[in-house]
Amino acid sequence: MGKALRAMMPSIASVVLALVLSFFIIVSTRGLSDAFNAYLAMLWGSIGDWPKFLSDEGTAAALLRPLGESGTKAALLILTGLSVASAFRVGLFNIGAQGQLLVGAIVAAWLGSALSLPAPIHIAVCVLAASLAGALYALIPALLKVKRGVHEVISTIMLNWVAVRLIENWLLLGPLKATASGDNSISGTAQIHASAELPRLMGDGSRLNLGAVLAVIVAIVFWVFLARTVRGFEWKVVGLAPEAAKSSGLNTSRAIIESMLVAGACAGLAGAVLILGTELKYPATLSGTWGFDGISMALIGQGHPLGVIFSALTFGALTAGGTRMQLFGVHKSFPELIQGIALLLMAARVVWARIFSRRNA
Amino acid sequence: MISLEHITKRCGPTLTLALDDVSLSINPGERLAIVGENGAGKSTLMNVLFGLYQPDAGTISVSGKNLKFKTPLDARAQGIAMVQQHFTLVPNLSVTENVILGHEPRRFGFLNLKQAAEEVTATAKKLGFAVDVHARVSDLTVGTQQKIEIIKALHTGASTVILDEPTAVLTPQESNELYAVMRALSESGVAVVLITHKLREVLAFAQRIAVMRRGKIVAEHSASVSESALAKDLTGDTVLAAELPRAQIPVGDIRIELKSVIAEKLQHISLKARAGEILGIAGVDGNGQRELAEVLTGLRDFTGEFRWDGAVLERPNAQKLRELGVRHIPEDRLRRAIVSDLSLEENLSLGRQSKAPFARGAFIDASERRGFAIRTLKDHDVRPPEPEFRAGSLSGGNQQKLVVARELSGQPKVVIVVQPTRGLDIAATWAVRQKLMQARNAGCAVVLVSLDLDEVLALSDRVAVMYAGKITAEFNRGTFDEAAIGRCMLGVANG
Repeated sequence: MGKALRAMMPSIASVVLALVLSFFIIVSTRGLSDAFNAYLAMLWGSIGDWPKFLSDEGTAAALLRPLGESGTKAALLILTGLSVASAFRVGLFNIGAQGQLLVGAIVAAWLGSALSLPAPIHIAVCVLAASLAGALYALIPALLKVKRGVHEVISTIMLNWVAVRLIENWLLLGPLKATASGDNSISGTAQIHASAELPRLMGDGSRLNLGAVLAVIVAIVFWVFLARTVRGFEWKVVGLAPEAAKSSGLNTSRAIIESMLVAGACAGLAGAVLILGTELKYPATLSGTWGFDGISMALIGQGHPLGVIFSALTFGALTAGGTRMQLFGVHKSFPELIQGIALLLMAARVVWARIFSRRNA
Repeated sequence: MISLEHITKRCGPTLTLALDDVSLSINPGERLAIVGENGAGKSTLMNVLFGLYQPDAGTISVSGKNLKFKTPLDARAQGIAMVQQHFTLVPNLSVTENVILGHEPRRFGFLNLKQAAEEVTATAKKLGFAVDVHARVSDLTVGTQQKIEIIKALHTGASTVILDEPTAVLTPQESNELYAVMRALSESGVAVVLITHKLREVLAFAQRIAVMRRGKIVAEHSASVSESALAKDLTGDTVLAAELPRAQIPVGDIRIELKSVIAEKLQHISLKARAGEILGIAGVDGNGQRELAEVLTGLRDFTGEFRWDGAVLERPNAQKLRELGVRHIPEDRLRRAIVSDLSLEENLSLGRQSKAPFARGAFIDASERRGFAIRTLKDHDVRPPEPEFRAGSLSGGNQQKLVVARELSGQPKVVIVVQPTRGLDIAATWAVRQKLMQARNAGCAVVLVSLDLDEVLALSDRVAVMYAGKITAEFNRGTFDEAAIGRCMLGVANG
């Protein structure tokens, strides 16, 4: 366990240091007490409002709502983080999780509203179809890479925009446009049927849904795959030493295609969880950069499924709590700054590694 | 006279003692050899003398005057020149430009190339080298480049010249020529210090031999010492037999046959690799040996015929050939053979990772893999024999033992071996060669590509010489003629 902890130290240290640095940024603009209160608000907004819960008029909702919100956001981050981590394994940088997520989301929204099926089957069909759609969308850069040597960073970035434009400027205005009922003008797709909604785990107390369970299951399965299976080992070799992989007779092209299919499926699943769990339809523009945040999750989590869970829980909580900082005049996007700083510190992990190895030497 | 006294130097992140109270003197006009295994400290000692490293303790004196060499410029000022082990020439510049780099003759502030060319020609002539001083270095052969390095070192005049492994990449003829020049140089009063591990060359050339081991000078000999006594000093207690145990077995079946294979740098190559035979491929670097090895291991596309056990194999790739029992010990072990960030046991499973004992179904069989690793690491004397150790933390010799252990386990049918002992010390070299011979004795077809002709001659049953992408000659064991092979390597004769 000591070894695992040591491996996680750079991640933990960069998150903590990012929190400290960000704290002083608020101090410098709004003063110490606002900074302190804003951080407290963020804390109670992420791990549950314990002071309120323990006070006389406290209810369970004071804990469940913030925790549920943290968990809901963490679920999406886990899935997109795994998407990027999967490609990382074979040495690819999947910037396209955002596009793959959008494709999964639109498929989930379409099947969720177009089909009428009994509840569990409807959910399963939507989730599987969205994952498949994400996987197929990720197959494009994988094939371009393997067959033509196109760099995956370029192709996935461009495909992100292709997905945005195809969905927002065509599907949402044409084939998948919701039909208006009465006087209400409607944007985006039609609402999904109740049978396709992911069940909420804590009743009406929070939006936490089955998606969180799915995310954790996928992460654990992925972990077992990487750590225990022959194919997971082969991916690792392809990522660490492509030339040695080729000399050893490994099929590097196959590993690249497989890992990108898994990456796309994870991102597509995130899209399904987003639509079927919280949005309940595909809105005119899907705000949120879950796919891009996945890059941070994979980097801060060092490409390890458990590391991704750790960073997703951390930043899911910070994002959920961050909205409460507005009470003290701090913009709700502040957690993005923290995430950015943590990522920057993580990128400098070579320096960290040196510091920690010296201390242990 | 130069004296190094009580030189001590610690190196690296762990501050290992690279030089431990070393004292050595160099007399004018003498031919001194410093021999030792890799890491014995011989290059470090000379780098201290050349001002590249600062000693932690000890003094350097020239003609009785104590001096501090902070940079190589200080050493040069005292007439000390050094030819580094790795080439330091700029490929895109001409011979003249390379030689004068750092001390260009000027006229009115402008570079005077004409004068420079004349001076360089004069230096070359004095050394007895015939080189075109206007040629681009990248167009020259390795042997000529080595001469340019020497011209560069001696151009501004030197009273002491240090040569670090100067013949590592030369043919026998080129080596002989180099030693003749160095001998003439020493007779004209220049001290020549030779760093090498080739004992035969040392004995033929040096007047005095200093043996280094683990940062110390452990013995000094005159030229009359025997090779075996010298080898014993080098390695400490290990006594190495002179001849590898070559079992007398009948020539086996043809495993791989190439017929008129054409690929990048290869022209109509035909060869046969037979069971129970080591086929050595000799040649000067860059004549297609590397490409041939890649064709044989399925890593390079080609046109022509590739036969396996007599039957034509269509489009053999690395995976297919591995399935058939072809193994590969590549030249570039850190890039192509070993994954530094993986453990020893993971590295041992590479190539057969989906088969027993490494896997059970789709899953890794951790306990069987561990058992295999423990046994194999012990059998092949990989140190430390810890299955969980990172491969990147092993020494070069042990990394190569790891690769050899992996590729020779599980009864391979053919092994393609490229430069298997490059950069290894004597003990590790011996261990690797022994394993190759054992594989051959067990009926494996071994194809050995090496730039070290001594190695090819010591191991091979048959030697094919490559020149300009062709096999120009073949020799059988018993009729090896070093001079003739050397001529074929240079392309001046066909066998």
